[in-house]
Amino acid sequence: MADVNILGIACNWSPYCCYNAAGQAGLALPPNFRLIRVMCIGRINQALILRAFEHGADGVIVLECEDSDCRYGPGPEVGHTNVARVRQLLRYLGIGQERLVERTFQADQRDEFVAVLHGFAARIAALGPNPANPRQERVA
Amino acid sequence: MELNAPEIRRLVKDCGLYLCQECGKCSASCPRFLGGREYSPRLLAQKLITQPGDRAYIENAVWECLSCGRCEERCPSNVRFTRFIREMRAILAADQGLMGHQAHDGALHSWMRIMTAPDLRQDRLGWLTPELKIDADSEVAFFSGCAPYFDVFFAGLKVDTLGQARDAIRLLNFLGIAPQVLANERCCGHDLLWSGDAENFAALARLNHEEFRDRGVKEIVTACPECFQALGVHLPRVAPGDVIKVTFLLDLVEREVKKGGISFSPLERRVTYQDPCRLGRMSGRYQGPRDLMALIPGLEFREMANHRQGSICCGNSAFLGCDAYSKRIQVARLNQARETGAELLVTACPKCLIHTTCALRDPVRGQPWNLEPVSLVSLLADRIQWSPAETPRRD
Repeated sequence: MADVNILGIACNWSPYCCYNAAGQAGLALPPNFRLIRVMCIGRINQALILRAFEHGADGVIVLECEDSDCRYGPGPEVGHTNVARVRQLLRYLGIGQERLVERTFQADQRDEFVAVLHGFAARIAALGPNPANPRQERVA
Repeated sequence: MELNAPEIRRLVKDCGLYLCQECGKCSASCPRFLGGREYSPRLLAQKLITQPGDRAYIENAVWECLSCGRCEERCPSNVRFTRFIREMRAILAADQGLMGHQAHDGALHSWMRIMTAPDLRQDRLGWLTPELKIDADSEVAFFSGCAPYFDVFFAGLKVDTLGQARDAIRLLNFLGIAPQVLANERCCGHDLLWSGDAENFAALARLNHEEFRDRGVKEIVTACPECFQALGVHLPRVAPGDVIKVTFLLDLVEREVKKGGISFSPLERRVTYQDPCRLGRMSGRYQGPRDLMALIPGLEFREMANHRQGSICCGNSAFLGCDAYSKRIQVARLNQARETGAELLVTACPKCLIHTTCALRDPVRGQPWNLEPVSLVSLLADRIQWSPAETPRRD
């Protein structure tokens, strides 16, 4: 498998339940997969997703609750809008919109969750590294 | 880095800060200060010279400036304050990292930095519709800048930046110019330049310069005053070599219209005009846009209380530090526009259009403004025509 970085951004509720259950069951996740947990996907804006690509992510998967399950209201719908817009930006940038996907889960979909991650990792590995070679913001 | 380091002292001297007479006209004309922010260009200048140890004040103040240049316009000592801010930000950023608060969480700066990747192959020309005449071998290129990206990112505002890019090409086509549109042009880097990221600005400038050269471009036409400044004034400083002519679209239109034979169809509306800082104060173009609007029959032009050199910022520049004070500047400006009785708020800068539209769409204010922001390029493209007697024969 090509050396690619996959970033997952997961809502604390249903998707993280799946992640937790997968960990407890000792299910293998793709190598080079990192997860950021947020309280709600509604917190994630276009900038934060773009930032992942700026800093060298080869693929980003946004892991959401189903619309009707959101603890806060419109979280996943905000996610749909932002993902759709960033996918378009990634297409313009030549990075490719297929490097950003969103998936919704119910809390008990552990096996589906693991399978989705493996499927996504395989597609990104086939695409190879992000053509925007990583450049970091300078830090002091 | 100490703030009395030789590099900073040299910049303070080069920008004429020692000439400051402490008259305070700068602070009294600063939109940010007038908006209630405790930010004073006069005090910043004074601190730099007499109290460089007051790092907290200086380092905060350097990121406050809108770089609109209104202070510079009023300054009796010709202190070059916007240049000072631009270069001081680069010095501080090189030492401490980028400190300004980037609006929209830095999304725009992020895609600008992504564009510094040399091997990027953008897919950005989907907006070119078949009726637009494009010539891949033309020596004239239309620089669309961030229009495709804004169109997606600000989709919620419905500012239609791509519609304005198409209108710009329609104007060029009307004037007999079929430009090329570069598939892989980068952002002009204006916002990185003004937010202290000199390194990535230079990277973009060099990539753009290479792209222009490789595609045989001799002249760039842009409809954005920021691109006009960044490509025309700042690019040659970091990308030496072949000089590529940079033309502001409205200059070109004005020149062609003055040759005669062109007129505009009527528009029965009351109109006022927002002078963009990069077009007015930085490029000295106040009269051109007004002359062009005066050619539209039926258009009733009304000047805002603050106009031309005294014009007030649309609230933000370089997508840096948009906050409650920016909003107060915008509301004050929009109130000035409303007081003229105008129905259309015309501007010549896509950023002014985005910011005024954003402020007008504020759902909290409730009351209707009856004011519609419009791009001057679109206004002209919709109305330009050959004068009836002079329609070129088509046989």
